[in-house]
Amino acid sequence: MITLFGKRIRLFRPKSIWIRKVVQWAFFILIALIAVNHTLAESGASIPLLANASLHAVCRFGGVVTIYQFATVGTFVQKIHQSSFVLMIISFLLAILFGPVFCGWVCPLGTIQEWVSNFGRKLFRRRFNHFAPVKLDKVLRYLRYGVLAWVVYMTAVTGKLIFAEYDPYFALFSFWTSEVSILGLVILGVTLGLSLFVERPWCKYACPYGAVLGLTNLFRVFGIRRNQVTCKADGACSIMCPMNIPVDSKTVVRDHQCISCLECTSEAVCPVAKTVQFATRGAK
Amino acid sequence: MTLTSKTLAALVVAILFGGIFFSSAMGWWQTESTKEAAKITNGEFAGQANPVDIRGSYTFGDVDKNFGVPPAVLAEAFGVKDSNLAAFTVKSLEGMYTGSAQEIGTSSVRLFVAFYKGMPYDLSTDTYLPESAAVILRARNLSSEQSAYLAKHTVPNPGAAPATSAPQTTPQATQAPSAQSTPQATQAPSAQSTPKAETPSASSPDRVVKGVTTFADVLGWGVSKATIEQVLGTSMPAAPGMKVKDYCTEKGLNFETIRTALQAEVDKVK
Repeated sequence: MITLFGKRIRLFRPKSIWIRKVVQWAFFILIALIAVNHTLAESGASIPLLANASLHAVCRFGGVVTIYQFATVGTFVQKIHQSSFVLMIISFLLAILFGPVFCGWVCPLGTIQEWVSNFGRKLFRRRFNHFAPVKLDKVLRYLRYGVLAWVVYMTAVTGKLIFAEYDPYFALFSFWTSEVSILGLVILGVTLGLSLFVERPWCKYACPYGAVLGLTNLFRVFGIRRNQVTCKADGACSIMCPMNIPVDSKTVVRDHQCISCLECTSEAVCPVAKTVQFATRGAK
Repeated sequence: MTLTSKTLAALVVAILFGGIFFSSAMGWWQTESTKEAAKITNGEFAGQANPVDIRGSYTFGDVDKNFGVPPAVLAEAFGVKDSNLAAFTVKSLEGMYTGSAQEIGTSSVRLFVAFYKGMPYDLSTDTYLPESAAVILRARNLSSEQSAYLAKHTVPNPGAAPATSAPQTTPQATQAPSAQSTPQATQAPSAQSTPKAETPSASSPDRVVKGVTTFADVLGWGVSKATIEQVLGTSMPAAPGMKVKDYCTEKGLNFETIRTALQAEVDKVK
């Protein structure tokens, strides 16, 4: 730390939140192992001490799509179990406290998109994540609410897990099984392909679960807060935000797309200590 | 209050796994179906297991336990030949009927169980049954609405999964033994495409009513249940696999008279 023009500036700062990468890796490996173990269990062999639940049983979004049937009939949509409901409640609790941390820290589909984006960033440098015209991009960001409405409606009408056919998350962890659909694999391929140009394209434009969790940004307890007094207004926070949120123009980030990744904070890209923080209201 | 990334990571992991641990302790963490169908909460069937809650992971044994429909009946209905019928999973049907023009799977079992037990089923949705299942259901007390639904939602049994007690041999099929299930056949359930060679009629393959002819045979030849009952002067037996002759003996009817009348009805369908 040095003091320059009366401001404390950290010269050697981490470029990224490394602990987030560790958590992302851990959950990616855990979900992959559970998915493989489920396949092994069906053939009579499984990895000891590791859960062999189906992917649907550990799917938090499964809880959301089955809400209607649970409320009206008292049963779950086929393939969905009580564990999905429990995970949905835990995810909502996390989201109310910290915003969509599930998206930024846990979701393996978000993780793999980030991995692919690392190549895109090296290929396109400053142009990466800024290809889409701003106006079009802004409109497309609301597409995921349409997807959410469609999925919930169709699931309620059919009583089936309609989204599994399209879900790239499901395709990612079941591509070796007969359960996966071609369409799901195509959507996964397109998502990963687009990740070379855009950071988290699925999360931004199509993820129905991200749409649900994103709403908590409007009232989450902990949020991204910028101290206007110490801010140098260098725009680093906005440039580095994977979701293209103009953090440097806000005092509190309430954008529905924020994934609470903390990459904009003073712990990561912001050069001024205690200027962009993940904090409650009134924190100093 | 400010959170650092390490604190946030610790909190996310702790809340997630703590929540799972807590729910496990409370008995809420279930990653598999309990194989106990939800109960109907109101109406005439309140308290009874709800066929709509049958899952693909249910075995025929689970269906029997919940609804009292024996695995043998389910196997006959869906043309299942398995050494351990009670362990046969409902979701396996989809694989058996991959060649069918309409999906035969878990929802088909739900429909079958509901009709078999005389319970209500949402008729606004399109759920299909194989002909062998329809034959069994037609012998039960279906409402006119259910019968009409059944007539429109029946598909032929695939050659790979012949119904053992409901052979569906037609003149066309007999003449063209290599014919497979086709969309046309699907649209006309009475015209089955199951080849004679693959579905040998155990009783009367030549559409002649004999001592070994079963009611299922006659139904399969296109004679309606109503017509058969009109000829009999009484209702049909619950099990369509029963021989006509045995039923006549049981009911004190003259088999020869019934045979002649039924043959006339069969010939009319020709």
